[in-house]
Amino acid sequence: MSQLLKIGQMIFTDSSDTPCEVEKFLGDGGQGEVYQARLGNSHVAIKWYFPHYLKEDPELRERLEMAIKRGAPTDRFLWPQDMVSATGTATFGYVMPLREPRFKSLNDMMAGRIHPTFRAVATAGFELAHSYSQLHAKGLCYKDISFGNVFLDPQNGEIRVCDNDNVDVNGAIGAIGGTQGFMAPEVERQEAAPTTQTDLHSLAVLLFYMFMMHHPLSGKRELEIHCFDMAAKRKLYGTHPLFIFDPNDNGNPPVPGEQDNPLTFWPLYPQALRNLFTRAFTDGLHDPNKRIREDEWKKMMVRLRDSIIYCGSCGSENFYDGEALKASGSQLRACWNCGKEPKLPPRIRIGGEVIMLNHDAMLYPHHLEQDKKYDFARPLATVNRNPNDGRWGLKNLGNDKWTATYPDGRIVDVESGKTVPIPTGIKINFGKAEGEIRLG
Amino acid sequence: MSDELKRPGGPIASRPLHFIWIADCSGSMSGEKIHALNYAVQEALPGMRDAAKDHPESKVLVRAIKFSDGAQWILAQPTPVDDYQWTDLHADGVTDMGKALTMVAEQLKVPPMDARGLPPVLVLLSDGEPTDNFAAGLKALMDQPWGQKAIRIAIAIGGDANLEPLQKFIGHTERKPLQANNPDALVKAIKWSSTVVMKSSAASRPTSDSSSSPTSTVPIPEPPVLNDGGDVW
Repeated sequence: MSQLLKIGQMIFTDSSDTPCEVEKFLGDGGQGEVYQARLGNSHVAIKWYFPHYLKEDPELRERLEMAIKRGAPTDRFLWPQDMVSATGTATFGYVMPLREPRFKSLNDMMAGRIHPTFRAVATAGFELAHSYSQLHAKGLCYKDISFGNVFLDPQNGEIRVCDNDNVDVNGAIGAIGGTQGFMAPEVERQEAAPTTQTDLHSLAVLLFYMFMMHHPLSGKRELEIHCFDMAAKRKLYGTHPLFIFDPNDNGNPPVPGEQDNPLTFWPLYPQALRNLFTRAFTDGLHDPNKRIREDEWKKMMVRLRDSIIYCGSCGSENFYDGEALKASGSQLRACWNCGKEPKLPPRIRIGGEVIMLNHDAMLYPHHLEQDKKYDFARPLATVNRNPNDGRWGLKNLGNDKWTATYPDGRIVDVESGKTVPIPTGIKINFGKAEGEIRLG
Repeated sequence: MSDELKRPGGPIASRPLHFIWIADCSGSMSGEKIHALNYAVQEALPGMRDAAKDHPESKVLVRAIKFSDGAQWILAQPTPVDDYQWTDLHADGVTDMGKALTMVAEQLKVPPMDARGLPPVLVLLSDGEPTDNFAAGLKALMDQPWGQKAIRIAIAIGGDANLEPLQKFIGHTERKPLQANNPDALVKAIKWSSTVVMKSSAASRPTSDSSSSPTSTVPIPEPPVLNDGGDVW
């Protein structure tokens, strides 16, 4: 039910006094209402504030004008583009891009209403870390990272970040403190205001939620609380925080039967991801300088995506874990879904990274060109199967010629558009990187 | 691969969030006021369902009790907000508000209440003055730990309501009864209670002011401005 603007009403942009016609009510919250509107030939979203909210957040206009001036850190942000106002009212709003319907709230994922694949979750994790790092690089701080203001496309993990009216210059004092559970312990204890360092804690909590479907500090201690109110949350997340998988303190473990998600998910992931979360919620909990930086998350998310293997029996995604494989004497963990041992696909080692060459694998400039880290714009190689003999090969999708060296010393050129079969031991020189294939 | 096979596990763990309407159906509510109340709650329900959807960490359970000559649960069973339907109320009789609070207190005992939950939200709607032992009812409510922890909101319908018992029900002075002096204001007040207040119980967002308040279970954003349409019952 809309209360503030009328359908068909004209409002005007502050920058150029361009009329903007209110078309549709989209939703509301504690701060205001969101509408679809037509601005020139395009459809945009308008957030329009309740008059009483403006009193609660006196720095709002200044923050928004700053955000508009600085521009969106990346296209993943539904960023304020212009202020809008209407005649005869003291309140105002801002214009932002409309969110496409393919993007679903992380709330839907947490409630089990959408089911993204592990690959999509890892991609979303990568995009989130990248987006917040770009925001932080501009000297800005998000202040309220939580699953209420992130959307993802469950098909491919692409994300959108909304509610960017929280964003402020790093270190600025303001009304927004964050959402309990996502706030860093020192913010929760009211010892510090939100900064980029506290954003890093919130990002780690958000990622933990996405991978474990649970809060990293909600173990036995949470179950001992009857009424989960502000004071209880302050204790659990602020004054007495303890990671549910803290290797040095078993005082707050997840309780079977009540908190099964973390117990289910935690062992499925490679040790390296578990180590990163452990650092985030042990050292990083107490020392803001030891929090996991976005680049570490980005590297981990890409590595995680490259380590996905498909169970040959049921098709479910599982993870290759080189470290665990060595420790177990090459015994792969049973598939989480059907219990059978997955078969390893061909894989390629490039530098220190091992990439699974599944039937749908792609190699990007990120993998093949050292100076193009995180460039996933266009694949340079793809796995394909020879229709005549069924052998798997790697197809050159780039413009540059590769050189393949067989174990017997034979050297062949792989021109653009051609496929090289991938027997074990073959080395491929991609120009700026060299990879070695392993099978079995 | 079917949807269910994509990843193991289930939704995140949630805690029950009990939401209880406590509605005055005394004779003075008859006519336009009771119609406005019925309309306002119906109008607020879709927004309440949407707000609950945004908070997977909570499981919102709704029920309602009415009071006039005595008190009676309209729907005693805590009902998931998606399934909850408002039953239109009729007004007649006296204002046994104390009885209603006593009956709510009974339901806030453990059991039937879960030992673990989010702060319950109790919304008291009244246009008049209690005719029974209000103090005894309020004491019974506040004797229950869940009664003390509840976020207690009071909405005064019309300018004649005695604000004193409503203020006592709220329990502390920094939050006032919401004064709804016309049907439009009532819609706004009920909508605010069932969305903004309910969301505050599910996920609190303290600000520097609210988090220092010792009397508030959770911080609650300011209510909307209600009476720009004047007193038109």
